[in-house]
Amino acid sequence: MQHEIKVNEITGITDAKVLSGGSLLTNFLRTNAEVFKRDRLALTGLIILVFFALIAIFAPVIAPRGPFEVIEADGFWLSNEKPSTDYLLGTTNLGRDIFSQLIYGSRVALLVGFSAALAVAVIGTIVGLIAGFYGGWVDTILMRLADVAFGIPFLPFIIVLVAFLTPSIWIIVLAMAMLLWRDTSRVIRSQVLVVKEQAFVSAGKVSGASNLRIIFLYIAPSILPLSALYGSLAIGWAILTEASVSFLGFSDPDVVSWGFMLQDAFNSQALSRGAYYWIIPPGLAIMLTVMSGFFISRGYEEVLFPRLRKH
Amino acid sequence: MALLEIRNLSVNYRTQRGTVHAVDNVSFDLDSGQHLGVIGESGCGKSTLMRALVRVLPRNGDIVRGEVYFKGRNLLELSEDEMRDLRWSEIATIPQASMDSLNPVQKVGKQLEDILIRRGRHDRATAKRRAVDLFELVGLDVERLGHYPHEYSGGMKQRAVIAMALALNPSLLISDEPLTALDVIVQHQVLEVLKQLEEELNLTIMLATHDISVIAQACDSVVVMYAGRLVEQTDAKTFFSEPAHPYSLGLQQAFPNLVQPKDILVSINGYPPDLHTPPTGCRFAQRCPFAQEACYQSDPVLTSIRDGHLSACLRIGEMDTLRDAARQPHTWLQTEASRLVQQNTHNGKQEPDAVATQHDDDTILRVNQVSKYYQIGGGIAGLIRGQKRQTVYAVNNISFELKRGESLGLAGESGCGKSTTGKMLVKLLEATHGEITFDGIDLRTLHAKNQLEFRRRVQLMFQNPFEALNARFTIYRSLAEPLIIHGWKRDEERLERIIETLERVNLRPAEAFLDKLPHQLSGGQLQRVVLARALVLRPDLIVADEPVSMLDVSVRAGILNTMKALAAEMGLTTIYISHDLSLLQYTCDRIAIMYLGQIVEIGPADEIINNPKHPYTQALIAAVPVPDPKIPSPPLRIRRGVPRPTEIVQGCPFVERCPEAMEACRHIAPPNVQIAGQHATRCHLYGEHADSPKLAPIAAEAIS
Repeated sequence: MQHEIKVNEITGITDAKVLSGGSLLTNFLRTNAEVFKRDRLALTGLIILVFFALIAIFAPVIAPRGPFEVIEADGFWLSNEKPSTDYLLGTTNLGRDIFSQLIYGSRVALLVGFSAALAVAVIGTIVGLIAGFYGGWVDTILMRLADVAFGIPFLPFIIVLVAFLTPSIWIIVLAMAMLLWRDTSRVIRSQVLVVKEQAFVSAGKVSGASNLRIIFLYIAPSILPLSALYGSLAIGWAILTEASVSFLGFSDPDVVSWGFMLQDAFNSQALSRGAYYWIIPPGLAIMLTVMSGFFISRGYEEVLFPRLRKH
Repeated sequence: MALLEIRNLSVNYRTQRGTVHAVDNVSFDLDSGQHLGVIGESGCGKSTLMRALVRVLPRNGDIVRGEVYFKGRNLLELSEDEMRDLRWSEIATIPQASMDSLNPVQKVGKQLEDILIRRGRHDRATAKRRAVDLFELVGLDVERLGHYPHEYSGGMKQRAVIAMALALNPSLLISDEPLTALDVIVQHQVLEVLKQLEEELNLTIMLATHDISVIAQACDSVVVMYAGRLVEQTDAKTFFSEPAHPYSLGLQQAFPNLVQPKDILVSINGYPPDLHTPPTGCRFAQRCPFAQEACYQSDPVLTSIRDGHLSACLRIGEMDTLRDAARQPHTWLQTEASRLVQQNTHNGKQEPDAVATQHDDDTILRVNQVSKYYQIGGGIAGLIRGQKRQTVYAVNNISFELKRGESLGLAGESGCGKSTTGKMLVKLLEATHGEITFDGIDLRTLHAKNQLEFRRRVQLMFQNPFEALNARFTIYRSLAEPLIIHGWKRDEERLERIIETLERVNLRPAEAFLDKLPHQLSGGQLQRVVLARALVLRPDLIVADEPVSMLDVSVRAGILNTMKALAAEMGLTTIYISHDLSLLQYTCDRIAIMYLGQIVEIGPADEIINNPKHPYTQALIAAVPVPDPKIPSPPLRIRRGVPRPTEIVQGCPFVERCPEAMEACRHIAPPNVQIAGQHATRCHLYGEHADSPKLAPIAAEAIS
């Protein structure tokens, strides 16, 4: 026994289970699983997000009524009802069930959140990879484009877009995709500049690997957590943006979102009537989903910058 | 009474895997005026010991036992405030990579004065005077006080840091690896300063190093540490003439020596034991060629051989016999660790020279007037600021040829263009001018579609093994990658080739390494994997850029020996790039010395070392520290750092630093003079202008 341990010391072989190599996808999934295993906060964020996702998916089952369904009693609208067992969060001044609106509102939030996050992460990553790897005039053109995107104020840009196009939640996704890739691409590019100078990338070149092989097999895996970080940050941003745009009254009037609810409450003077049951739930829902995005991004940051970890 | 008395000092680190006993029951004294070297591999506890003395251990480090008496006071019982008063004013430290510790936005003189005023109770005027004294003491030009750190060369920065450390008149100077990561010439200058301090200040110095030549040149006594223990303690002369611990014997045999080159360097196979669970017997037993059954059972204690010479070895009585045996390289293959690593090796018996002499007239590589220029500055922002683009002449018109099976060393200080040259040879960089032909193929004609065969035949080996492998790839995947690129479709064939290659580089059993990730291996093992990756396609030419500079001395030799043996066996042509001339002398048939992008001298390795012609080569060789205290290193006659090659020089690029500079050197480019056979140099001393009037010696800057 003593002898066997010696063998291990010398050859440096440990009995630890070793991970075998794998495709880009499995590597990516493994890194991500690692994030949530390591960090409770990220896990909390993930749980909140999954919770809202389930609500969004099963909204028709959970919500007792449609979001715009007007509740009538004795031929009158049942306006400004206080919370009761029938109407968990009361009704609006147009006689709509607030609880049902809250449930349906999660659909918009998550739809906007995820699609914008995906768009931002994908566009930003690709632009960053290409600009960083090829450099030269490709880099110059892409980065000057990013500068232009940096120069455009975000909310006014959306308001102008809404003015020209029909109001829809997709405008917000479009606007975010058009502008917010700038941050992601800048950061990814700088990371690519670092990674591409590392010796293992040169080693790939020396053994004859093609540019695409180098970008996707050598460089991309080490920057994917960074895309995920910016993606999860974008979830929060997108939800906040949707809420602000709705609150300013530029949203699609036929779709209920949490921001829309807040605007509705604001216009109906819910605050002065002390109808906190109308204001606090959508506010809290926005806060929680946005926070979940930031919690998850914290987890990625700790993976990317291990120095943040507490010993 | 000794200045510093260390008694039974033990330091533990708390880690996730348990407790590491990094320093284990170490005791020794340091007398006033003594220069003590602490030597050992990385992970032997040198740095921990030094940090424990001034109580700046990392947060997870605890001093669990022992006393440290400094001038009679136990440092470990002082309050943090008292300790802070003591640091710098009584015990000064020069940390590793200390050159970076200067504040880049403040003039060096100001930084020095500030310390004097804040800590030394000087006023502005006396502080200024003291700063001047300090600069004179470390041999820096007083005018330099008004300069910013970026205007300093590496060696000057190092001296400025020493001046700062000395500012408050400490009694003890502690320095951790003061010379690591410095060029030979800078190393030499710093050693000179340290020696001079000994004479002028009677300063007590304690320095940690893995380089025995530093001990030989700068220390008068030695403490050898292994696996957290003190295994030998003696004065420097005895350490070299009569070392009394097998580990010390191994370190000396593993070290290349320019003066008495060894035919085969020994490698102390294996690694220091895991200090989470130190072995019960002698900690060195596994790597010791003289280990007996008893060594695994009982732990040797430090025993006095004679006054002041202590060693912890059970066979201390037979040391004379062991010392003779240790000189035989094959002795070191008889350790437990070697047996495990080298089962059915090629016995290390290849005669590299046999193949080296087989050179026919088969030239495989031809480098013809090759240059590499870089443009720096410019860009849109630079254009608006009105900056001019600058050209850096990284490599300037070099030519050489290499025969099949030959090995060539490229040497020079950092920034001389040797790595750029290496990258051009493997076509990682394109030459700006000139022609590189590999086996008849002009590298300029290669592009993405037709380069695959060239990529198979020419490989590069990297300096830093920790970076050269993709951290996400297993060893198998890393080695399979070149094969996949080159169209090896079948898994079994790939696996077979990979296992065969791993065994060739002495990673056995190869199967055990396949599923490992790079961070699970040691530096030496990783560098073998890097070598295996270079060899897996069975190339014809390998360019090795500083292949062992990141590794411990004890494993360096093993890798070099493997490379040498494999090159002979596989008929490889190799180019070694290194700043370490003793290494090149050991591994290469020919050596080319580069300076500011030019080859200033080229010739057979022994010729270059023993009969250098160019003043720059002479300086480089003189600067290599000799691991023997009886041979004092010769004074260095060149000065200043390497200038930045931003303009094409009319005359000789070395003229500014050359002790022999002549009038002609300024204006006329030196000719390539054939000294004898293959030995050639670019220097006017041997050309038609040899009688040109000498230039007045350059104002001796910063040289003792």
